[in-house]
Amino acid sequence: MPRSLRYIILLLVAGISVSCEGIFQYNPNQIILNDDEKNLNRKNIERIQKLPLTDTVRFILMGDTQRFYDEASDFVKSANNQRNIAFVLHAGDISDFGLTQEFRWVNEIMQKLKYPYVTVIGNHDLVANGPAAFGRMYGDLDYSFEYGDNKFIFIDTNSREYAFNGAVPDLEWLQSELASNTSGKNAIVVAHVPPFNGDFDKNLESRYAGILAADPNVKFTLYGHEHGYRDGFIYNDGVDYYVTTTVGERGYMIVTTWKGGYKVERVAY
Amino acid sequence: MMKKLIFPILLLLHIFANAQDTLPDRKQIKWFLPDHLKLQFAGNIGFLSGGPGYISRNRTLETDLLFGYLPQKFGGDALVTITAKTTYSPWRIHLKNNYNIAPFSFGAYLSYTFGTQFDTKWPSYYPIGYYWWATSFRPGLYMGGKVGKDVVIKNRRRGFECYYELGTYDLLLISYVQNTKYLKPSDIVNLSFGVKFGF
Repeated sequence: MPRSLRYIILLLVAGISVSCEGIFQYNPNQIILNDDEKNLNRKNIERIQKLPLTDTVRFILMGDTQRFYDEASDFVKSANNQRNIAFVLHAGDISDFGLTQEFRWVNEIMQKLKYPYVTVIGNHDLVANGPAAFGRMYGDLDYSFEYGDNKFIFIDTNSREYAFNGAVPDLEWLQSELASNTSGKNAIVVAHVPPFNGDFDKNLESRYAGILAADPNVKFTLYGHEHGYRDGFIYNDGVDYYVTTTVGERGYMIVTTWKGGYKVERVAY
Repeated sequence: MMKKLIFPILLLLHIFANAQDTLPDRKQIKWFLPDHLKLQFAGNIGFLSGGPGYISRNRTLETDLLFGYLPQKFGGDALVTITAKTTYSPWRIHLKNNYNIAPFSFGAYLSYTFGTQFDTKWPSYYPIGYYWWATSFRPGLYMGGKVGKDVVIKNRRRGFECYYELGTYDLLLISYVQNTKYLKPSDIVNLSFGVKFGF
């Protein structure tokens, strides 16, 4: 090879690797993240807990961004025009194929929100290397945090992805999270698959609903997955089940909660 | 895992090397012996991948079988792949000093990634068509070009080539097609480099 050509190629390689991060890909299932793409739920919870405390907390429930990047970008614009929003809850199915690349694209979009956002895992996020990607990027699959008069509990309810093995959702964990809420904060359980959906373990459905109904601090509970809105006292047990639609349908919910009450609005954009 | 791969590759190299020494007209006697070996960096089929391949009589169509490996250190997960790949390079420009350029190539590949987390046929606890894609097999497309030089080693003319490829694969392509406002073509394209040793 002529020397000049060798230099040109070397320069080209150096230039490309500096200018275009991610230009080299080694496998669709690689899990390569920048430091600011790791442990996002923990980092964003820290941001939420630094917000000034108010009697009324207003937040957005959205989800199922899977392969809806254009619509998710428009969601961010719409959400940023809302007033008095504290944070955004992503109800899962961040990705469609469980690829790290998809999680990174969605995070890139959600970074443009004026508010912190936290996520719960969806069934599509559990495909291929998705569990490892979600774990490193967002954190635990079951977790909780407190803000003001509220305790938010996020739980993996994607039973089908575990072959309905009876361990998902983890009801013991859910019970202990509710039991440790001794100061009686509003307990708000957030998950991807609602218990009345076919992807939720039928053998755990009534116990799950029973646990929520038995806790006086649980007034309503939030889901995604169904790509359509739904709400109602599904089990006639005093617990209001809300399902938000996908951003692909250009919609989301705004939840307002205060000590002893709540309000849920639907927003089209 | 790397050790497991090295042995078969060495074995292949050994077979080819011996075949060359003893059989100058080996292609006439053993038609199945490969025409070349390739070693590739990146391209979604491993951090490094390598293996034997064949070329058509008119030297425009190459078909390769590449064994790829991505170490945990570079990829966040250790992944082993096998890839079948076909490249068409319709034009070759001959330069002085036995150099040549194939300015434009294009091709397709199908890779398979090993791992219990990847499925070819989804388990029976999913309704049929619940997920429409296989996670183990990944088809992709690419275009690129290459420069080559013919060198004479042991009285035989051998081709040595360097190539580059810009590629993407099915899942990224469909993501782009449905999101042309947010995604740019550069978001789904990746670059790879490789070398080819002809026998």
